[in-house]
Amino acid sequence: MYIFFAFVLFFPVLLLLVKSVSYGWRWGEIIPTSFSARGFDVLLNDSRFYSAIGMSFLIGNMVILLNLLIAVPAARALAFHTFRGKSLVEVVLLLPILIPSLAVAMGIHITMIRLGLADQWLGVVLVHLIPTVPYSIKILRSGFERLGQKWEEQASSLGGTKMAILYRIYLPQLLPSFRSMVFLIFVISLSQYALTSIIGGGNVLTLAMLYFPFLSSVDEAVIASFSIVFALLPICVMIGFELVFRLVIPYQKRVFLD
Amino acid sequence: MKWFKSNNWSLALLPAFLFTFCLVVYGLFMAAQESVTTLNGFSLDAYKNIFDNEAFLESLTYSLRIAFVSTVLSLVLGLLLTKFLFETLNNHLARTVVWLPMLFPHFVWGYMMILLFSQTGWFSTMLHAMSIIDSPDQFPVLTNDRYGIGIILTYTLKEIPFVVLMLLPVYAQLNRDLPNVVMTLGGNKWHVFKTVEWPWLFPVLMEAGLIVFAFILAAFEVPYLLGTTYPKMVSVLAYEWFYQGDWSKRPESFAVMMTVTAIIFGLLIILLSLVSRSRYRMMKGNGM
Repeated sequence: MYIFFAFVLFFPVLLLLVKSVSYGWRWGEIIPTSFSARGFDVLLNDSRFYSAIGMSFLIGNMVILLNLLIAVPAARALAFHTFRGKSLVEVVLLLPILIPSLAVAMGIHITMIRLGLADQWLGVVLVHLIPTVPYSIKILRSGFERLGQKWEEQASSLGGTKMAILYRIYLPQLLPSFRSMVFLIFVISLSQYALTSIIGGGNVLTLAMLYFPFLSSVDEAVIASFSIVFALLPICVMIGFELVFRLVIPYQKRVFLD
Repeated sequence: MKWFKSNNWSLALLPAFLFTFCLVVYGLFMAAQESVTTLNGFSLDAYKNIFDNEAFLESLTYSLRIAFVSTVLSLVLGLLLTKFLFETLNNHLARTVVWLPMLFPHFVWGYMMILLFSQTGWFSTMLHAMSIIDSPDQFPVLTNDRYGIGIILTYTLKEIPFVVLMLLPVYAQLNRDLPNVVMTLGGNKWHVFKTVEWPWLFPVLMEAGLIVFAFILAAFEVPYLLGTTYPKMVSVLAYEWFYQGDWSKRPESFAVMMTVTAIIFGLLIILLSLVSRSRYRMMKGNGM
């Protein structure tokens, strides 16, 4: 059963991989008769492709950093404190993913123009927060809940400062949550076409903005190659963050994704 | 990291609230305002127009049907998968496998569905190889079709991992002794599910369901790729009206998105009342 599901999930990806290096794969041929790297060649010779990758990296990483600033304090407060109206607070913090983000983006468009944020990458970063922040809070909150409050209490009763608690307890112990968060947030940011197009107005060229016009082209090998790039980027970001984590965070558990 | 030093922990929620209200609620408020503003001042004409517009009504029922079917499918399959594979999913490799589909944006999954299910896709080729069909047009239209089958397939596949990830913590925290209590009292597996697992699963399933439903109902990218020219899903329609040259359709575009928002809010209120009632029952059941 497990194998079956793995197959269902991986078969489309496999087909995509084969498609990307196929050459003149026609209907009626179960596997392609000839192969070429032309799909990737076309992409690699397109200068817009490189600037789109750079822009997607910039926006994705900024979105991750802002998510951390917003979600870490909120997640800790929700995990460790009970107060009146907590369930209302939970619903309010879920609103950004329930309210259609298209409505919000269309609504703030005029304001973004007035503030000079429309057509700017910073404006795009701000709208990308809408579909991401609730997930960050959710992931980090369950991380804090699993950990419990005792670690922090013990450290502070032993005279640990807040900084020491953050650095020596929360950073290493919440590492799996941070990994999940970085991964998910980056992929969501990479997937935004409508939001990027409304606020970025065609001036902020991310990968998604480049991908959609490509879809109407007839060259399937190029589209398939482009599709694969979407999976390579989050992997690069994960490796990058992993290096940073290794350097910065003490006492690491060697566990991948939780 | 000022928030950590502050003793007043309610300040910790401030950035999240600022973000929610200054960006999201403000954006929604502006959208509502633009939907009732015309050159002659306040008017509800935009709403009257869209509810007289056959294209919008068809698009709304089309979107609701797609969102409903995909949500139910991904909840049921996600629940079955979590329930029966929970032990396997506990190991880290298997959990990484659940994460992997998330590596691709949903519109790339949409493209993969075209590769598999379109009339010239791989399944059609397979059937040809098995001599069941002779030409591509004998293969049923499953992508860019009138019923949104391609969209439903894409979202179901893409949302199952999300449902699994939401449900895993529930199964991880379930009391391991309670199933034995049910069994010694003469209950069967169904009783275990209904009395031990369901009360905990229900609120999480409802929450996951609402998130998935809201996401699909207002989705743009996949319907744009896999939809038909008529009917369109609501977001695609609103997006087109938003960009219509002379801006004359903008109030209607905003009215469409406000209607979708109202539907989601309605569902949210229904679910909240259902869940709070079930929580109350659960507390009483625990003798608290």
